[in-house]
This record gives sequence, structure tokens and C-alpha cells, in this order.
Amino acid sequence: MMVKKVLHSLTLNGEEVQVATAAGATLLQTLREDLRILSSKRGCNQGVCGACTVLVDGTPVRACLTLTARCEGHAVQTMEGMDGDRVMATLQRHMVQSGGVQCGFCTGGVLISARDLLEADPTPSREAVKTALSGNICRCTGYRTIVDAVCGAAEELSQ
Amino acid sequence: MSLDQPEPIFVGGTVGQSVAKTDSLEKVQGRAEYIADLYRPGMLHGAILASPHAHARIRGYDLSEAMQAPGVVAIITGDDVGEGRMGAFIKDEHAIAKGKVLYVGEPVAAVAARTEEEARHACRLIKVDYEELPAVLSPEEGLARDAPILHEHLAEYIKVFDAGSDGNLCSRTELSEGDVDAAWADCDVIVEGEYTTQPQAHVSMEPCGALAEVDAAGRVTLWSANQSVFRVQANVCESLGLPMSRLRSLTPRVGAGFGNKMEPHIQPITVALAMKAMRPVKLILSREEDFEMVRARHPYRVRMKTGAKSDGTLVARECEVLVECGAFADDSPGVMGYSLLMCGGPYRIPHMKASGKLVYTNKLRFGAFRGFGNPQVLFAGEQQIDQIGEKLGLDPFTIRRRNLLRRGDQWFVGPRIGSNGLGRCLDAVEQAAKGARADGSPRNFGLAVTAHISGLLGTGAIVRMLEDGTISLNTGATDIGQGSDTVLAQICAEELKLPFDQVAVASPDTDGSPYNWGTTASRVTYTTGRAVKAAAKKVVDQAMDHAAEILDCDVADLELREGGRIGRHGSNTDVTFAQISGRAHWAAGGPLVGSETLVFDEPTHDPKRAIALGLPFPRIGVFSFAALGVDVDVDDTSGQVSVHEAWSAADVGRAINPRLVEVQLHGGFVQGLGYSLYEEMVWDGARLANPSLMDYKVPTARDVPDAIHTFIIEDPDPTGPFGAKGAGEIGLNAAPGAIANAVARATGARHAHLPLTGERVLAGMLDPGALQD
Amino acid sequence: MTEVLSPLTVDDAIALLVEHDEAMPLAGGATLIAMRNASLVEPSHLVSLDRIAELRGIDRTADGTIRIGAMTRHCDTAACAELTGSLHVLRRAAGMIANRVVRNMGTMGGAVANADPAADYLPALACCDATLEIAGPEGRRSLSIHDYVDDWYETALGEGEIITAIMLPAPVEAPSAYRKIARVSGDYATASCAMALDPDGQGLRVAIGACGPGPLRDRAGEDALRGKLHDPAALAEFAGRLVALADPVDDVRGSAEYRLRLIPRLVASVLSELAPQKETA
Ligand SMILES: Cc1cc2nc3c(=O)[nH]c(=O)nc-3n(C[C@H](O)[C@H](O)[C@H](O)COP(=O)(O)OP(=O)(O)OC[C@H]3O[C@@H](n4cnc5c(N)ncnc54)[C@H](O)[C@@H]3O)c2cc1C
Ligand code: FES
Ligand code: FES
Repeated sequence: MMVKKVLHSLTLNGEEVQVATAAGATLLQTLREDLRILSSKRGCNQGVCGACTVLVDGTPVRACLTLTARCEGHAVQTMEGMDGDRVMATLQRHMVQSGGVQCGFCTGGVLISARDLLEADPTPSREAVKTALSGNICRCTGYRTIVDAVCGAAEELSQ
Repeated sequence: MSLDQPEPIFVGGTVGQSVAKTDSLEKVQGRAEYIADLYRPGMLHGAILASPHAHARIRGYDLSEAMQAPGVVAIITGDDVGEGRMGAFIKDEHAIAKGKVLYVGEPVAAVAARTEEEARHACRLIKVDYEELPAVLSPEEGLARDAPILHEHLAEYIKVFDAGSDGNLCSRTELSEGDVDAAWADCDVIVEGEYTTQPQAHVSMEPCGALAEVDAAGRVTLWSANQSVFRVQANVCESLGLPMSRLRSLTPRVGAGFGNKMEPHIQPITVALAMKAMRPVKLILSREEDFEMVRARHPYRVRMKTGAKSDGTLVARECEVLVECGAFADDSPGVMGYSLLMCGGPYRIPHMKASGKLVYTNKLRFGAFRGFGNPQVLFAGEQQIDQIGEKLGLDPFTIRRRNLLRRGDQWFVGPRIGSNGLGRCLDAVEQAAKGARADGSPRNFGLAVTAHISGLLGTGAIVRMLEDGTISLNTGATDIGQGSDTVLAQICAEELKLPFDQVAVASPDTDGSPYNWGTTASRVTYTTGRAVKAAAKKVVDQAMDHAAEILDCDVADLELREGGRIGRHGSNTDVTFAQISGRAHWAAGGPLVGSETLVFDEPTHDPKRAIALGLPFPRIGVFSFAALGVDVDVDDTSGQVSVHEAWSAADVGRAINPRLVEVQLHGGFVQGLGYSLYEEMVWDGARLANPSLMDYKVPTARDVPDAIHTFIIEDPDPTGPFGAKGAGEIGLNAAPGAIANAVARATGARHAHLPLTGERVLAGMLDPGALQD
Repeated sequence: MTEVLSPLTVDDAIALLVEHDEAMPLAGGATLIAMRNASLVEPSHLVSLDRIAELRGIDRTADGTIRIGAMTRHCDTAACAELTGSLHVLRRAAGMIANRVVRNMGTMGGAVANADPAADYLPALACCDATLEIAGPEGRRSLSIHDYVDDWYETALGEGEIITAIMLPAPVEAPSAYRKIARVSGDYATASCAMALDPDGQGLRVAIGACGPGPLRDRAGEDALRGKLHDPAALAEFAGRLVALADPVDDVRGSAEYRLRLIPRLVASVLSELAPQKETA
């Protein structure tokens, strides 16, 4: 098994990057091993836990199930590239205040899913928040304070 | 950072305030570094070859092909580790399988290579010659007369307590008080049953991992996901035969623990690989490996019998447990012993007898998991309390109140109860849960109560005043995400009357931190908090001495003021910590350092009261209490249970940070909900059938009630820091008992087997008469 | 090492699949990449279908038939306004797959090709009497969904064949629904039930999922039940026929016995949702 590397061009957090990555690598592998983008976490590598969730062309996807080759020419966005995003900043602040961050391993994925929800539905019900976050497993919080944070952020943003 | 309304997050928070955790900001920004995020120059990646057999002798290895594989630098097997064995209670475990394999998934060899893929690929090229042996797959099989023996040399292993080991019997514990056998005759009602509980996986969202590096002099630095840098140090050194001074153990941020990162996982293997490769090696488990190689909650078989007078007064209880240990003892003797101590629940029961057998089996080791044996026995015990109440026409609150242990009473076998707010917990739940649902429909209500200890073993704290008067706090306690850094800083800041943000908490480091047994057993706030408070007090005393000299007065005339100032009573002039610390550093007395170490030393066993054989914890701790009420829905079609609403009230002595206590109660309840309703590790023969998150299901946001009401009850403990006691496990313990009681209310059927899956509950609905088998 | 190929036409994709022995078509990757990550499959080449225009989109043809391109993602199916009445069941099934993020990735073609017995589309499509459009080295063909699943994870798809589209008969005004029993939200089904009423409310079509290699459908039984939807004995007989067709397994989601128990209960539950029994004196 020789490691064959392939060169891909994509937009990462607003910047054009060229990256040499193992042929057939997942986006999660490329981000972490080749680009040292570490906010996307490997919690399961099976698409279940949501800790690796990133945006491709603005849509949340599992980095662990996405091939880097498929991202050729597309825009990938991770938590590292969220500076200046008002919705994300508000969500982050509410998460800090509500206690929705415990070990933090799920947090990046949770926030990316939550931001996607608020873009689609700025005033979600608590049920809608729980549904939108149901693909992000959190083993620490019991979800209550996370839902509080997302609802709090939604309320603040919609004022 | 672009929080558009930057708000100061750490303003003057001290005890009793819900300040945000100090690590929250880096975590929401995705900047927190966990073990998988660490890189070292020249670092290699490790991977593990797992045993395909449950029980086999290893006749030899053929590494030739694997060594030739691309990228491979080093391979280790059992031949590379010495005879050393590790273990918390019984030293029965090598760093990696040596001579024999004892379960499917046990690490047999490990490879260090340039990339993880190369290391994993090379693992598959390793050939191991096995001689298969018959396997033991249940405790009953393990105790059978002709059972194959897992540990032939068990008798020679080092044990830290009187385990009574024999054959596949890892340990036994027998406790008794009063005269149970005679007491049954005094009982007007007796309930009896046999219960089983299933193995539960911890599923910390971060899988286990480690990174080891060896310096030019051969000294090892080891980062790992852990709950105790000191237990890691001890385990690695014991199993690899290293002097402890030759290994430094550190921790990055930890993606939660719940017990599975307390004792070793792959740290010894990673160190052995790094020593052989002479390069840094990082080894991160896949989720599947994390399921198969680390540890899980013990399955229990519980036989329980409880008797009471016709007025509901409890008279006697007998409890016998058969506990599956898995391949290695790990924390199991402690878990079993503790569950027997707790099997009476927080009740006055004059006649008690509890005994247990812990049996080695050819499966993954079972070990510590939030609750530590308490949820299993409570599942039986709290149902029996309800059943007695039902027979006597007493509601769940009344039957419990009639029997509660009080402050000053002695717990089973002897420990004295200090503060006890359980009565108030019950009041809070009863008050909040009474009546019908908002839509007028009746509740399917279930109640359970619990107690849990916090205490256990050694701990320390060093408080240093920096030159500018701010503080560095070093305790060696790993914050696994629950917020102990924050809580300890709050305790320290309170004692020093400083704003919270002036206390920096050092990351645990066996080279520089005082000893801390671990972030486990709900102990950090209580035990380490005590040390922190005492160490901070010493710094205050030293500062007072300086201030007395500077102000030329008597210490008795001085007072400590908010914000790090000391002044004379009735006078406005004061000196600042900065002035004092500057003087101490440069002119007089030397830098201000307060340190304290302690070990919880109240004996568990009162020999005048009880007989105790094979008790693994001679000293345990102080008691926290909780009551949990749940209102469940049962789906008519499937039998599936969902919790509609929950009320969790806990006496934690004093909530140093109420929000963090609440989140412990939420998180504990939801982990208990998963345990009660569907989480179950299933073995297909000797192989784990569901080692993935696709097949092993934990609750998602949609599976939990939105209404989890928490009530913090504060009955300050005289020994706790500002009265605080532990809060980490108490929120989980009662879940299976409360949910089972609610399901019985809803369906008319009692259940003796966890989890309460739709399948079981439906069977109960269709035949509510019998205790479900 | 897997090489990723991105053909622009169906013909090119098939040629690549034929050319490379261990090549596999890649749709959303939600199952295939997860399996590769777990080393359950090790394809030499992945033939990515994402750049093939023909496989995209949901269209309504002149006769009202609906064509769902194989690469249509679950989120688009779940939001598709064309799927009304008798086809609403498919929309409901799509919305219950996994979770929002996985629905952004997985496709109907991939899910149908994968033919997981516990997955959601097959029972819904069986209830809709869907037809699969298939292209392969031998040319194109159509196949009824009822002839599609041969055995556990075995389908009528041949070497080098891909699903290009799923065809649905024009929707009619009649309620339809999907119900799934699963351990937690987003899990695969322990058992599921797709049901559509006839426009006159007198009959139904029903398909049961996760109780055998493919969806269970008993069209003769459905005919016999026409006009007797609220006759408990007739309904029990119908459910009994479905139970007799079932061939469930014991797995981590539930026992075979539980699944057999669930079939009549699911039928009754979904029927009462679609056709609540009127209180007649
Ligand atoms: C966390 C998680 C939860 C899930 N939960 C559910 C659930 O609750 N219910 C459910 O129904 N599904 C569930 N799924 C599966 C999901 O619906 C997948 O999207 C689907 O099974 C596969 O679709 P895909 O487009 O991702 O296909 P891929 O993964 O790309 O491919 C799947 C298989 O089909 C083949 N293939 C793909 N496209 C074609 C084609 N056009 N023609 C021929 N062969 C093709 C591939 O070679 C491969 O063998 C879940 C998946 C995940 C990751
Ligand atoms: S790592 Fe991708 S979903 Fe878990
Ligand atoms: S905070 Fe630990 S998993 Fe969510």
C-alpha cells in the first residue's frame, strides 16, 4: 500500500488552497492531517455523531463521509473560518453563558448545525431546535442547555 | 474573536455564582486542543492489532511482512513488555497481551508508522499464532466446576485488599448488620425478585488516545485523554517496569470521561511504541476500538428481598449480586463493594445482609462508570420500595419519608451521615410534580431516591501568589469538561476574596502538580476543594503577616477585603496583594505559597456495628442525596417509553456553581435515560455485536424531555469547602429505578430486566401479571 | 487507496464501472464512505455520480408521472411539493431518514441501491408502486420496485448497472403516511409501515419495512380488504397475512418475535391515523 497523494484545489474558509492529500481521502482526513484544521473532530468516522460537521458550499455535511476529491472547486468552511459571522458569534456567546459547553468535543458540530437552522428558520420552536440538533450527539449536557442557548441566540438575533 | 457584543465573561464570580466555565470560549471557537489535536516534530502514528479470539494462548508472532510495509518504524508485542502488571485493586493486567489473549478486541500488537493508514494497514499484515482455548462468557460459566481459568496465576498477583480470589472468582464481598435471617419473621410484607442489568458503554464523544515522546535521556513525556495524570503514571510505570520518576504524564483538554478514562487504556502501549521507535507516537482509537478495547458498565444479576412492617417501616433487606468482571479486575472489586454498601438505599433498615461475587469472563473489562454500581442495585431496591408501598397503600413519597436516614445516623456498615437534605429533595419533587399534566391528562409518575458519596483518597493543592498579586492554582485534578477548573478557581478566589478571573488554574502535570487520585467518584469539588480552600487560607495567613509588618500592627487588627487588599479594622488604608507579593518576592520572607494535601480518612466500617469481609474501600466519603421523579409516556403500538417530564432534586451541600450542578443533573439524567431505555452492549458469542454508534444508540436531542427540572438543595456539609459535596453521579443513579416505577404505573407491569426496551415493555403490557422475564 | 473518478455522463460512468474490477458507484457516500472508513469495503475506484446532469432533479412529466433523479438528496425529497396525496408517504419517509445533515448528503438512488432492509425508502416506494430506471452495459431497462429485492442485501441490479431514476405514478388525492419504530431518533427502523388509502377511502396499499429482506406487500390481501377497512376481523386477517409473509431476524434493534408483534400494531396505528374510525351510533 503506497500512499499516493493527489493535489486538490478548493476554497477553505474563504482562501484558495491547494492541498496534496491521500487519494480517496475524506475531507475530515484532509482537514485534520494535511491542513491542520482541528475544529472538525473524529468522533465516529461513520456519520453518526456529528462532531466533524462542516459546511460545503454553505450546506452542513459530515466531513467524515465527504471525499476531498468531491470538494475540488467547492467552498469548505469550518469553525476556524467563522470569525465575523454574526449568527455564529451570537450562538457562541449563548453557549458559553448557558453552560451548553461541557467537554466541548461535540460543540463545533452542534454550533454549525444550529447556525444552519437559524439561517433557515430564524425563530425556531424548541422542538425545531431539538430536531435540527438530533444529528449531533452530546453525551455531557443532556441537551437542555444547548437548546436554551440556541433559542436564546435566536431570540436575540430576531430582535 | 468576533463576538459582536464582547462581554466580560469572568467578572468577579465567586462561590454560589454560575460563572461560565473558563474553557468555554476556546471550545466554542473550536480552538481547544484534545489529544488527537496534538502534533510533535517527527511524530509517528500508532495502530493496534486486536485479538480475534476470546481466549487463546499466543504461540508466536510473525512480524516480517508487517515490518516491510510502507511507513512502518516499529512494532511491539507482548514480547516487548516485561512481566509487570497493573491494576487498581488486583494487579492482573500487562501493558499488552502477553502469553494469552483474554477477550476479542484485546490489543495483541501495535505498529508505529508515518501515517495512521499505514499503521492500520501494517497491523493487518502481522501474523499471530494462537492456540485457541475454551472461553468463559458469563459469570455463571466462570464459576462452574470445570470452567477454563483465565488467570492461572491469580493467587500470586498483588492485591490491595482481601479479595478472596479463587479460580475465576476475582473477588467477593460480604457485609452484614443486624440479624436478617431472624428479621423476616417480624415483617408483615416481603417482596423479593431477581433482576438483571445490561452492560452500558460510556461513549465519551472523544475516543481514547495518547501521545508519547522519549527525550534524549530516555525519560518519557506522555499526553493522554485521562481522568487522572497520576493513575496514568502509576499504571504505565507498573506495567512497563519504569520508575515513576522516568515518566511525566500530562493532559490536554479531555472530551469527557464518565469513568472510562480513569484507569489505563492505551497509554502503556503508546509509551512502549515510542520507546521502541525512539520517535514520538500518537495513537488514537477509532470509535469501534473505543467500544471494544476500553471498558464498560458492569452487567449485574441482583437478587433482592425486602421486608417491612404493616405501617411501612422497613425491617430487613438482603441483596446478593453476581457481577461480570470481564478479563481484568480494573475497578471492578471497588464497584461491586460499593454497590453492596449502597444496596440498602438511603433508608434506615436495621437488618441488612449483602454479598457479591465478581467473576472473570473472556470479555472486555468492565469498570468504573458514573454511578459505580449504584444504579444497578437501585433499579432493584427502588422498585421494591414502591412495591411495598403498593401493598400497604402508601404512596411513593410517604413510604420513603417514613424510612429515611437522618443526619447523624450511620449508613450500612458504619459511615456517619453528615448533612442530609434528602427530605427537602423529596419535598421539592413532590411539590413540582403534583397534579396532572398541563393538558389535564394524568401523569405516569415514578419516583426513586439515591445517595452517593464524594471523598476517596489523596488530593492536594498549591496556591501561589504571583508578583502582581494574582494567583496560580495547581491541583493536578483533570478537568474532563465538567468544569472542575472553574469550580476550584471559584473556591480559591472566594477564600482570597479575589475576582474569579485573577485565579489561573494550571494544567495537571505529574512533574509539577500535587497528587490527585483522579476526577472520579464525584470527588473533585469536595476533596480537592477542601485542599484548595486550606491552601488558599495559608496564603491569606502569609499575606496577613506581611501586611502586619507593612502596616506595623497586629494581625488580629487586620481584615481581608474584597479585591485582594488587607487593611486595619476601621481604617481605610490598606495594602494590596501586589504590594505584599512584591515585598515577599524581592525583600522579605520569600514568595507566598500555600499548599495542602489530605486524604479522606474516616473509616467506612464500624466493627461494633457490622461484619465486613473483602471491603475494597476502607474509607469512602460524605453523602450527597437526590430524588428523581419522572412522568413517562408509553407508546401503544410499540411499547416504547419516552420521558415526558423529569424532576431532579439533589442535595449537593452547597452549589459552588449552580449552573454546573444543573448540567451535571441534566447530563446524568439523560445518560441514565439511555441506560434505562435502550443502551445495551450486545455480545454475539464472544464478539461484541454493536461496537459502533450506528448500532449502539445513545439519546439524541429528540429523545429527551425538554422539561428536565432541577432543584438544587443545599444542606452544607461541615467538612466540605463552603459546605459543598459531590454532584457528578447522583443525577444518574436513580434514573432506572424511577423510570421502572413510572412504567409500572403506566402499564401495570413490573420489569426486572434493563433496558426497558419497547419490546420488553410491550410484552409487559400484553401480560401485566407477571414480573417480566 | 481509492481513486475517485468523476464522469459526466451515465454512459461514461458505466464504462468506468466495467473497466475497473473493484470500482463502485458513489452517490451521497453516506453509506459507502462509512463502510470504507470501517474497512468493510475497499473499492479500488469510486465512480462519483455527482457530475452527471441526467441523475439530478425531480420532474413531473406530461402524464403526471414523477421522475426522481437517482442523485436527489433526501433533504430535497423531504421538501418536494410535488409529492402530495398518495405520494406524501415518500416525503414523510425521506424526512425520517437519519438527521438533517445526513439528509443533505444521502440520495434516493444510493439508498435504493444499498437496499438496507431497515432503511426507509423501499417500503415507501413499494407502497407507491414505483418503478426503477436502470442503465447498464446492456442498455437501459425499467424494473418494478416489487421485483427489485432478491434477498438480504441482494437486488436485481447487475454488474455495472446503476439506477438512474425512480419513477412514481401520478399522485392521487388520498392520504398516505409513513410510520417508523426506531430505538432513537434517526436510527434505522426496527419495523416500519408505509400506507396509502385508495381515493375512495375503501381500500389501502401497505408496505412493511425491516421485517424481511425487502418490503412486505400483499396485493391480493389488499384487494380482499377493500371495503372492510373498519372490520376488525378482516383487518386482523390482512395483518396476519403480512405476518405470514414476514421473515424477520433478531438483531440489536429487536427480536424477530417483536417485529412480528409490531406488524399488526403498525398497520392498525397508521390506519387509524389515515382513516380515523367515525363515531357512529
Ligand atoms: C448516520 C446515518 C444514519 C442513517 N439513517 C438512515 C435511516 O434512518 N434510514 C435510512 O433509510 N437510511 C439511513 N441512512 C442511510 C442513508 O439514507 C444513505 O444516504 C443511503 O443508504 C445511501 O445513500 P447514498 O446516496 O449516500 O449512497 P452511497 O453511500 O454513495 O452508496 C450506497 C451504495 O449504493 C451504491 N450506489 C449508489 N448510487 C447508486 C446508483 N445510482 N446506482 C447503483 N448503485 C449505486 C454504492 O456503490 C454503494 O454500494 C443513514 C446513514 C447514516 C450515515
Ligand atoms: S466523525 Fe463524522 S459524524 Fe462522527
Ligand atoms: S459537551 Fe461533551 S459531548 Fe457535548
